[in-house]
Amino acid sequence: MSPLQLCLAFSSLLFAVGLTGALARSNSILVLLGLELMLTAGSVNFIAFWRFGPPASPATGVVFAIFAIAVAAAETAVGLALVIAVYRHQRNIRLPEANRLKG
Amino acid sequence: MSPDYAGLFRALGPEAALVVGALAVLGLDLTLFRRHSLGERLRLALWVGSLAVLAAGVHVWRGGAPGPVFGAVLMLDPLAVATRFGVLVLTLLTLGVARSSTAQRQPAEYVALILFAATGLILMAAAQQLLLVFLALELASLSLYVIAGFDRNRPETAEAALKYFLFGGIAAAFLLFGFSLIYGVTGSIELPQIAAQIAVQGANPLLLVALAMVLVAFGFKTAAAPFHLWAPDVYQGAPAPSAALVASASKLAGFTLFTRLLWPGLGAAAGSTASFNAGPGWLPAVAVIAAASLLLGNLVALAQTNLRRLLAYSAIAHSGAMLLGVMAAGRAGPAPLFYYASTYGLATVGAFGVICAAERGGRCEAISDLAGLYKRSPFLAGCLAVFILSLAGIPPLAGFFGKFTVFAAALRLGGVAAPAGSLAILAIALSAVALYYYLIVLKQALVAKPTAGAQPIKVAPATALALFAAAGLIVWFGLFPAELLGLF
Repeated sequence: MSPLQLCLAFSSLLFAVGLTGALARSNSILVLLGLELMLTAGSVNFIAFWRFGPPASPATGVVFAIFAIAVAAAETAVGLALVIAVYRHQRNIRLPEANRLKG
Repeated sequence: MSPDYAGLFRALGPEAALVVGALAVLGLDLTLFRRHSLGERLRLALWVGSLAVLAAGVHVWRGGAPGPVFGAVLMLDPLAVATRFGVLVLTLLTLGVARSSTAQRQPAEYVALILFAATGLILMAAAQQLLLVFLALELASLSLYVIAGFDRNRPETAEAALKYFLFGGIAAAFLLFGFSLIYGVTGSIELPQIAAQIAVQGANPLLLVALAMVLVAFGFKTAAAPFHLWAPDVYQGAPAPSAALVASASKLAGFTLFTRLLWPGLGAAAGSTASFNAGPGWLPAVAVIAAASLLLGNLVALAQTNLRRLLAYSAIAHSGAMLLGVMAAGRAGPAPLFYYASTYGLATVGAFGVICAAERGGRCEAISDLAGLYKRSPFLAGCLAVFILSLAGIPPLAGFFGKFTVFAAALRLGGVAAPAGSLAILAIALSAVALYYYLIVLKQALVAKPTAGAQPIKVAPATALALFAAAGLIVWFGLFPAELLGLF
């Protein structure tokens, strides 16, 4: 396996683990963690393609990865704020109990 | 080639105006108006916010030369300019609606976040490079998550915002992963180079995975069928002005963004819908999503008793129809899609505006809470009639002509027997179903007697103006569709 293939296999695994966590967990903090893993998988891909792919413009992949990390951080901040907002009302952060809206 | 910073500065004038406006709203509220009453602070925030939106509109109007900006990072074609204008109009109407919003404890923050969301949306309208696409989408989404959860007194609001955020976050991760694969396959993040590379390479498996992931994000942003789960909850739980912005401006910008991404960018991987067993590509996938949205949206809407959930499921159905417009955009151009999406946005902002205004006079959740609206406020009932009939597609309102142009463009793709044509036939048949649930709403508002003790509703002047403008625009564009279609 070439290094690029190894990196892609790793990032795909990371993405799959994250997606499983985001869909299957009932604790909203763990869902947030899953989401972070999925975003990280995307950043890993960018770095891998930048390092091992055909030479393109100098730093595109790295710049994209840095921006993606910043966006992931912002997303976590908003997510945690919303988790706290839910906690204020139902005194826990379990998603199965956040079921007032349905129909 | 030296970077053209002056051109970039001119092209980003509207965004600058909105950001400066948002900061001015926050600054004024924290300094000069700190000790004033909530009502005065809300009025000031809305005034400053509206001025910022108007300034941004002037910048869009005067805009720079059309064409690519700063290399090819931004594309100022007629579609971008029209979408920017449409988003700004819808934002202005949302601000008018927000005047009536109840339980507003932080008016300045609310208005500032609406302006930040609008900034992201107008960037989405012109972005032509994957990094900028991603950042604009996230700027808009993060602001929308927060304003969707802005009413801290209601548990439903927090829950709706959390669900919106979780689905949106997963969609964003899919989009990022898809973009990384596109970058890997083509070696570029700029749409023109990507298009050239794909035309040379043809479709390979990695590219198809990337397409699937981009389509997941597209489906989320436009609330299309398998990815629609957040929409009913957000429409029901969020404060009415937030729901109006999520349902209208965000949808318009999302459709523009993904049409630009799919046709000029990934058009070579479109595949074909000439027959039912065509090769791989994104067109067949979009066709499946469109069919699922049309069926699910219209049929589930029949069972709804909550007014906002009904609007949400009808929004899913409208997304299906707009996806037909996306499929047809390759040959017919974006004009039918833009006409449909913008007039749909006007009608949705209006409908949520009526809900917001009616909430001041009492509960407005179930469809039966509208009973006797024609006596409680004839103005609101009249506006609601225009909006709902436009959503249902009754001539001479704009909703009818939007459906007509989109379906005609889809039928022209390959006749009635081709997939796009049969989808158009399906959509026309389901419009009859849609008429039923829209008329149930109107029956309550215009025919049913008011419940005992229902008070007349007073509408704030700003909201009345916004609703009147939205209704007027719907009638105007319905009578003179060339005003919009001629822009392209």
